[in-house]
Amino acid sequence: MIGQADILEFLPRTDCGQCGLTCAEFAALLLSRERSPEECPVLHEPDYAGYIEALHELLAQAPPPVMQVDAERCNGCGICVAMCEYHLGNCPEARLGRGPRFHDLVVFHIVNGTAVVVRQDLCTRMLQAAEKCSKCAEHCPTEAISFKL
Amino acid sequence: MELKESIICPGCACLCDDLDIILENGRPVAIHNVCTWGVGKFLAEKKLRPNKERRRLTDPQISRHGRAEKVSYEAALGEAAAILTQARRPVIYGLANSGAWAQEAALALTANLKARLEPADLAFMAPFYQAVQKHGLFWAPLEVIRDEADAVVYWGANPLHSCPRHAVRYAVFARGRFTERGIEDRQVAAVDIYRTELAGICHPYIQIDPFQEAALAEAVMASLNGHPASEDAPADADKLAAFFANAAYGVIFCGRGVAYGGPQVFDRLAALAARLNEKKPFVLFPLSGDFNSAGLYELLLRETGSPFAPDFADPAAPTSQASPVDFQEVDAVLVTGADLLWFLQAEQVQDLKKRQVPIVALSPFADRTTAQARVCLPVALDGIEAAEIAYRMDGLPVLLRPVASASAPPAHRVLADLNLFL
Ligand code: SF4
Ligand code: SF4
Ligand code: SF4
Ligand code: SF4
Repeated sequence: MIGQADILEFLPRTDCGQCGLTCAEFAALLLSRERSPEECPVLHEPDYAGYIEALHELLAQAPPPVMQVDAERCNGCGICVAMCEYHLGNCPEARLGRGPRFHDLVVFHIVNGTAVVVRQDLCTRMLQAAEKCSKCAEHCPTEAISFKL
Repeated sequence: MELKESIICPGCACLCDDLDIILENGRPVAIHNVCTWGVGKFLAEKKLRPNKERRRLTDPQISRHGRAEKVSYEAALGEAAAILTQARRPVIYGLANSGAWAQEAALALTANLKARLEPADLAFMAPFYQAVQKHGLFWAPLEVIRDEADAVVYWGANPLHSCPRHAVRYAVFARGRFTERGIEDRQVAAVDIYRTELAGICHPYIQIDPFQEAALAEAVMASLNGHPASEDAPADADKLAAFFANAAYGVIFCGRGVAYGGPQVFDRLAALAARLNEKKPFVLFPLSGDFNSAGLYELLLRETGSPFAPDFADPAAPTSQASPVDFQEVDAVLVTGADLLWFLQAEQVQDLKKRQVPIVALSPFADRTTAQARVCLPVALDGIEAAEIAYRMDGLPVLLRPVASASAPPAHRVLADLNLFL
């Protein structure tokens, strides 16, 4: 299954921030189809010729996004981060109500005031199809989170 | 690219200390863990929401006959000093969104000008202080509240707007020492005249008619004292009384709505908190959204012995005023750390315009006040472009370190320089 890491292979990985995000977050938004490869200005440089096309091919094979955050609604309160079932066992910062550290493995990061799904594959919902978790969406005060699975 | 970790956000009085910031050429581009409210301060041009851009002020300006003219820093200070010294009743207004050094400099300037210092949130905080002066104060840091409080009430407050991460970090969702399961170990209720997003997480959510809040607090008190609710008591008083009675450690977070409900509401809530405090820890906690409101009242208490607006009109006998200034008496205003014309009512703004009351505005951004100001002095963003001290809403002082370079001097410097021009 094509995931964030595969997409990241075809990004500059310099975290230059020109897209307003890190490369990893940009990869996550490519997967959720909220951004398109053209929106990374660095990929238009000659050194990266062919990368945009390669990304489009990859994305065509990637699974459709099942979890989405409506950026217009989200206020970055971080309740989803604190309530996430995966974070509960794996991210002590989020348990305490604090933000995860930069390199922590988490489902969501809050970036520039909006929740961004960075590792959809870590969401327990993807593993346990039978008992579907939806804690993040249940507690989101702005009803910004939706699932398609 | 450069990464700065564990930066403090000066967006609101939560002063969240867990922001990770990615800088490119010295400017923040991506900020982790910041809420929408805070991001607006860090990224004046918000890439994700370009429609919410705020324009930065770049040069000192003087306006004459409606025409703004760029001037030197010294010329702007000279004009501001002339305006303020010629005034009969000058007021220094704002300061809840200023660092502690700027607040100190403003207080010194106020005394020197024989002026009055008007905190932007006086109408909210003065009734709070009056109520605790009468009924006593029980206080706790946010971490203690997170660890111990099992009953939380938001009264006239929508923290999701005024301080968006308050609920998640300290009051509702965070897991603490004796609240290990977070929201499952807490009862959370709310009282408000509107239905807000809190309705989904607060049980009971008591939506009450305007101006019924004092009556509700009285009815809860009566119920706690074993008196049956009278017929005209607001509904749900018993529910709220039971909620308080079951608490082992409680806190009422009061929002701006409490001040709109009339001056008695804080009084009744403080009486209620004092009554509950006889049996268990119970905190009455004002939620002022502005990032360093607490610092301003710390300063006033330390320097003047009173949390109210200091007035040096008679320098031999300075006074402290709990009721807001009558702007009809004011003939010159210096505004910093607030947007005065956004805050005033339309008639008050009209009156200031009609009387051509000159305004001196210190601000990082263009706003309604700077648009009408006689003198505009751009300043750095406190805590982002200039070091400052701020007090978290519970009174914890923290040092804010700059993360970006400034194109204007910090407000505390401008205020100190202005003092030299008087
Ligand atoms: S603009 Fe491109 S290179 Fe720069 S951070 Fe975004 S994705 Fe990475
Ligand atoms: S809980 Fe909802 S509003 Fe809050 S950060 Fe998550 S998605 Fe955004
Ligand atoms: S649905 Fe997935 S992301 Fe949401 S709380 Fe559960 S595990 Fe976390
Ligand atoms: S809650 Fe306040 S301090 Fe925390 S990130 Fe938001 S604006 Fe900044």
